[in-house]
Amino acid sequence: MTGYIEVKDLVKVYSGSVRAVDDITFEVMEGEIFGFLGPNGAGKTTTISMLTTLLRPTSGSATIGGHDVVKQQQKVRSIIGLVPQELTVDDELSGRENMLLQAKLYHVENKVAKERIDELLDLVKLDDASDRLVKTYSGGMRKRLELAEGLIHSPKVLFLDEPTLGLDVQTRTVMWAHIRELKESSNMTVFMTTHYLEEADSLCDRIGIIDKGRIMALDTPKKLKESLGGDVISVKIDGEMDQTEAIKAVDGVLSVKKEDGSYRVKVMNGETVTAPLLQGISKNGGKVTYVTLERPNMDQVFLEYTGRSLRDAEQAGSYDKMAMARQMRRSS
Amino acid sequence: MFSETVALTGRELKHWYRAKVQILMMLVQPMVWLGLFGQAFPATIPVSTMNGAPDYMSYMSVGQLAIITLFTCMFVGMSLVWDRRFGFLNKLRAAPIPRAAIPLSRVFATVIRAVVAAMLVLAIALLFAHIPGLKGLTIIGHFGITDFLGVILILVLLATAFASIFVAIALTIKQQETLFAVINLVNLPLMFASAALFPISSMPDWLQTVAKVNPLTLAVDGMRQLFFHGSTGIYSLSVDIIGLAAFSAVFITLGIVVAMRSLKEK
Repeated sequence: MTGYIEVKDLVKVYSGSVRAVDDITFEVMEGEIFGFLGPNGAGKTTTISMLTTLLRPTSGSATIGGHDVVKQQQKVRSIIGLVPQELTVDDELSGRENMLLQAKLYHVENKVAKERIDELLDLVKLDDASDRLVKTYSGGMRKRLELAEGLIHSPKVLFLDEPTLGLDVQTRTVMWAHIRELKESSNMTVFMTTHYLEEADSLCDRIGIIDKGRIMALDTPKKLKESLGGDVISVKIDGEMDQTEAIKAVDGVLSVKKEDGSYRVKVMNGETVTAPLLQGISKNGGKVTYVTLERPNMDQVFLEYTGRSLRDAEQAGSYDKMAMARQMRRSS
Repeated sequence: MFSETVALTGRELKHWYRAKVQILMMLVQPMVWLGLFGQAFPATIPVSTMNGAPDYMSYMSVGQLAIITLFTCMFVGMSLVWDRRFGFLNKLRAAPIPRAAIPLSRVFATVIRAVVAAMLVLAIALLFAHIPGLKGLTIIGHFGITDFLGVILILVLLATAFASIFVAIALTIKQQETLFAVINLVNLPLMFASAALFPISSMPDWLQTVAKVNPLTLAVDGMRQLFFHGSTGIYSLSVDIIGLAAFSAVFITLGIVVAMRSLKEK
């Protein structure tokens, strides 16, 4: 199977020296949600901009549905939908008027457009607010309208650039639900970028971890987590007796590390090993007072592949603040 | 190409008529010009130099039609700068539309706004002539429908030329503050080095030469021949119109070329 989006040796160099995207190659299959995870400034938006024909690659190539993003721009533009990072919906128009304008720009027939607009406004729960001017909308409502706009022409590929940036937790959850619903109701391919680990983890079929313009790892969230080498069971045991040997004897245990009265046990599969492990310890005369099971999360995955935690990487850039300021300016 | 341009022109016009304060200002501005500037100005300019206008106020009122057109066109760039800043321009760039629709829609919307504004000024100027104690625009001879259409044509051509220039400037400059500075820089010389407010015969020779090729001069010269029948202009009416048509053709082409360049992916 070949990918619907194919990216080969893609490079983007800004002002002669900044390698924003540094030779990346990957494929996105039809109908999958593919996520680019990385800190701000990692090259996510630059990649999206090249794929959506807004930026010209310095070298390398990319095709969407077989159409080259440099040589067949109009074809590419007509099959993709873009939900940009910024809020670009028009303040002075109503929600419906924004949608109508978008429909005209994407050559959706008038009759079809009317139905589709109702459908989409319903989907993103803006049907009640559809005739109000967008300047009365909250940030979350604008973002949802933005999402609906991106879907007006039933695109083959939807590009979501930081779909939940600057949204509160509830609104973020709502956006996730919309994105999941989309995937279930159509065979649309979704390419999204995010710097929220849990977002990538819960939404994406596959994740590319990108840092400093390079793809550091690319796989399903599950496999990425597995690649860290299994789960960790922490147990606290009363008494002076060393239980290390007893723990090692349990099936599925990879390694044991003793720290004071507690043990960090690395195992292949935490759920199935926990019970035998506890039995083994009590058989050996140990009394377990505390047990936790830690599964690797995307934070650890990120740390593993980029050598720094996402939070540290975030602090390097002040982009978040800028984006927030921009949104505030717009709503005032 | 056509449908996208119409859709985007519609957006611009909606922005315009929904900004109530802007509409109010549009009405107030010519009132101030005609009411204060025009009424208070000493009429020391000899009638013989005023292209057949019966008095200075009538002369100046016609100039105001062209000046309000210039003013309306000046601000076309502002919305472009905002649209760039908020990513709307990028959204258009990602859409499967011909790129030329972006500058063209701005120019069309501005032409419509400018002509509407000029018509308001015209109405006010005609009204002033009938209010005792005020001076306004007094038409000489019969002003028929063809004369009216001639005025509209001249205004449309003038607005097309100016709107295109300012679209090109706004797309090149990108920065709001710099854009303001440039607009101001262009605005005053354009206005004063023309026959809009004062007869050019009272100007020094070098300034006359400049004023004679100013699109504003062509526009007011043509319109005065339509409002004041039997008058002779600086040029003949057909030369005025052909000249304006040439200006607008050149500038709209330039505007599109500059826009395509600036909207092209880098």
